[in-house]
Amino acid sequence: MDLSLVLNTFMLLTLATLLTPILFPPLSNNLKNTPHTIVSTVKASFLISLIPMTIYMHSGTESLISLWEWKFIMNFKIPISLKMDFYSLTFFPIALFVSWSILQFATWYMASDPYITKFFTYLLLFLIAMLILIIANNLFVLFIGWEGVGIMSFLLISWWHGRAEANTAALQAVLYNRIGDVGLILCMAWLASSTNTWEIQQLPSPSQTPTLPLLGLILAATGKSAQFGLHPWLPAAMEGPTPVSALLHSSTMVVAGIFLLIRMHPLFNNNQTALTLCLCLGALSTLFAATCALTQNDIKKIIAFSTSSQLGLMMVTIGLNLPELAFLHISTHAFFKAMLFLCSGSIIHNLNGEQDIRKMGGLQKMLPTTTACLTIGNLALMGTPFLAGFYSKDQIIESLNTSYLNTWALLLTLLATSFTAVYTIRMTVLVQTGFVRIPPLTPMNENNPAVMSPITRLALGSILTGFFLTSFIIPTKTPPMTMPLYIKITALIVTALGIALALEISKMAQTLILKKQTPLSNFSTSLGYFNPLAHRSSMTIFLNGGQNVASHLIDLSWYKLLGPEGLANLQLMAAKTATALHSGLMKAYLGSFALSILIILMSTY
Amino acid sequence: AEPGAMAAYLTHQQKVLRLYKKSLRHLESWCIHRDKYRYFACLLRDRFDKNKDVKDMVKATELLKAGEEEFWANQHPQPYIFADSPGGVAYERYEMYKIPEWCLDFWHPSEKAMYPDYFAKREQWKKLQRESWEREVKQLQEETPADGPRTEALPPARKEGHLPPMWWHHVTRPREQPM
Repeated sequence: MDLSLVLNTFMLLTLATLLTPILFPPLSNNLKNTPHTIVSTVKASFLISLIPMTIYMHSGTESLISLWEWKFIMNFKIPISLKMDFYSLTFFPIALFVSWSILQFATWYMASDPYITKFFTYLLLFLIAMLILIIANNLFVLFIGWEGVGIMSFLLISWWHGRAEANTAALQAVLYNRIGDVGLILCMAWLASSTNTWEIQQLPSPSQTPTLPLLGLILAATGKSAQFGLHPWLPAAMEGPTPVSALLHSSTMVVAGIFLLIRMHPLFNNNQTALTLCLCLGALSTLFAATCALTQNDIKKIIAFSTSSQLGLMMVTIGLNLPELAFLHISTHAFFKAMLFLCSGSIIHNLNGEQDIRKMGGLQKMLPTTTACLTIGNLALMGTPFLAGFYSKDQIIESLNTSYLNTWALLLTLLATSFTAVYTIRMTVLVQTGFVRIPPLTPMNENNPAVMSPITRLALGSILTGFFLTSFIIPTKTPPMTMPLYIKITALIVTALGIALALEISKMAQTLILKKQTPLSNFSTSLGYFNPLAHRSSMTIFLNGGQNVASHLIDLSWYKLLGPEGLANLQLMAAKTATALHSGLMKAYLGSFALSILIILMSTY
Repeated sequence: AEPGAMAAYLTHQQKVLRLYKKSLRHLESWCIHRDKYRYFACLLRDRFDKNKDVKDMVKATELLKAGEEEFWANQHPQPYIFADSPGGVAYERYEMYKIPEWCLDFWHPSEKAMYPDYFAKREQWKKLQRESWEREVKQLQEETPADGPRTEALPPARKEGHLPPMWWHHVTRPREQPM
């Protein structure tokens, strides 16, 4: 049996199944979408996508198909080519599993929303765009998916568009992503002009690649994956409903930037500048986000900064020249981060909209399953041995420790790992343990299977995925085999230190000492002072510049100075100079006229 | 002025009580655990109670000013704000669903036929609104002082058979949360 044919057919069938709720209802008279049909569609799609993944794991079959070709100009043709390799074949089931769970959860969470079907359609469109991005073999199709996820992110963050902060957050997301797009377009332009193709197999060798397109790619990843510098949109994106945060801003969309770098990895295999930039940028992002998460009180913002921190860790992995490890971290991170968001959504809805952890407490007895899954997710996030996060995170830290690269980046990453433990334990302690601080008379229950089965499914995934993925994939680079014991357990020690610190501080917070504001805590609470500085300064420059262009350049210069008024000014200048020359001495002038006429008359005789 | 309505200027008592309440809320943001909060809240109450019998307005105002400055220095950078309050997470979340009532007039007849009872009564209510509007405006113009209204409270209907001013605006207000 031709396995690659089966592979292609089933992957295309997955995409086609997802497109059915979009394409069929406009064409028929009676067919209407409901949230339930969309959930069933995604579930069916997930089950279908398991077949190609099993084929790949069994026999290593990969394939590359080329659908219609856009004959753009004479020598530059853009095929719509799709690549079924390890990355796309593994990520499809993961993305579809996570999306299925989130959509099932959203049938409960958004049940009171009048436009729930539109919400589900938006989520489905987002999923389709994301899968197009994953399966793309050339930068053109990838760009279609890239822009698609950006637009759907905008529409979904501003779902409650009556709220001013939601609209601002959506605009922030779009603008920051746009800045990153400039980098991607730069790289596409360079590729098109130098190698005349956008296909991933035909990428030039690293020695022929100048650093500029690589910087463009890194800029694109900075924008889309919220690295330091273009990061403020990710915490602001928590204005959207919790299913949006779970799907877009934790598992799928924000990894698109890292995924782009993984796909284009052959380009900067040896380019030490680009790799070092990735390493340092990633280390800075992960530490900055972890610092900001320490003092946040909104549960969704804590998880958002946690996502930002893990994205920085993925960037560090790219900087270490280990794309498969970054992909492994993407896959495992999708599970436990989505589960953390779903648990927090369940808690928020049960508390009637309360998102502040200062007004949550003692939920372990009231919501046992949800808090158990929250704990599992947090343990996986911290890299507890043999849960999902351990397989990817511990390997990254080991590789960072045993490489001969930047020590500064290593220290920052280790510090960020311990901070991860600190804010995770803080969140767990304040949300689940202790005495109850919630507003009374909240109707709390865990009876609805639409909530509980997604969360427990994702919990199962968080526990097992790491093990399964590492068992079945063959790493192309040898991981470091021997190292001293203290390097091997560095991540564990650092995490344990973080846990100890967090428990100590929690105990101290219960004693009768009033907290003081220190510069460090203020730095963390104000998110590093980045938002007002960057937003106000850049906006004043742009708006002032725009005002200057509109008034000085166009109105004043083009219409006035180079036209009528300029001419008049020149004339005026000449007239003024000429007027200043004479001094009004009439007698002298008449005398000189008379003298000249006399001299002329006398000289002619 | 109506009792219990907002006036144009705050009294000293109102200012002190506002300072007390916001300092308690910010204290609650700092002291997360309830027993610790209750301890410091009692200390704060005692500080306020020590000065509650000061009769000299100058001294009282100076105390209030010092209190406000201390509050400003010790406020919490991310104070706890209730979800539906201004600045909270769910504030204005459902504004997009609050469409005004005159949109009902633009429904298609086939849609209006789905709710015949309501639309039959609606014309009578609209007629009542048109008739009473002039009287409401006249009452408000008579009762407002020359330099502008002193409070936000609306007066009740003064004569028999009149309706209170702006009743239509109140009766047709949208729901707080969508169905």
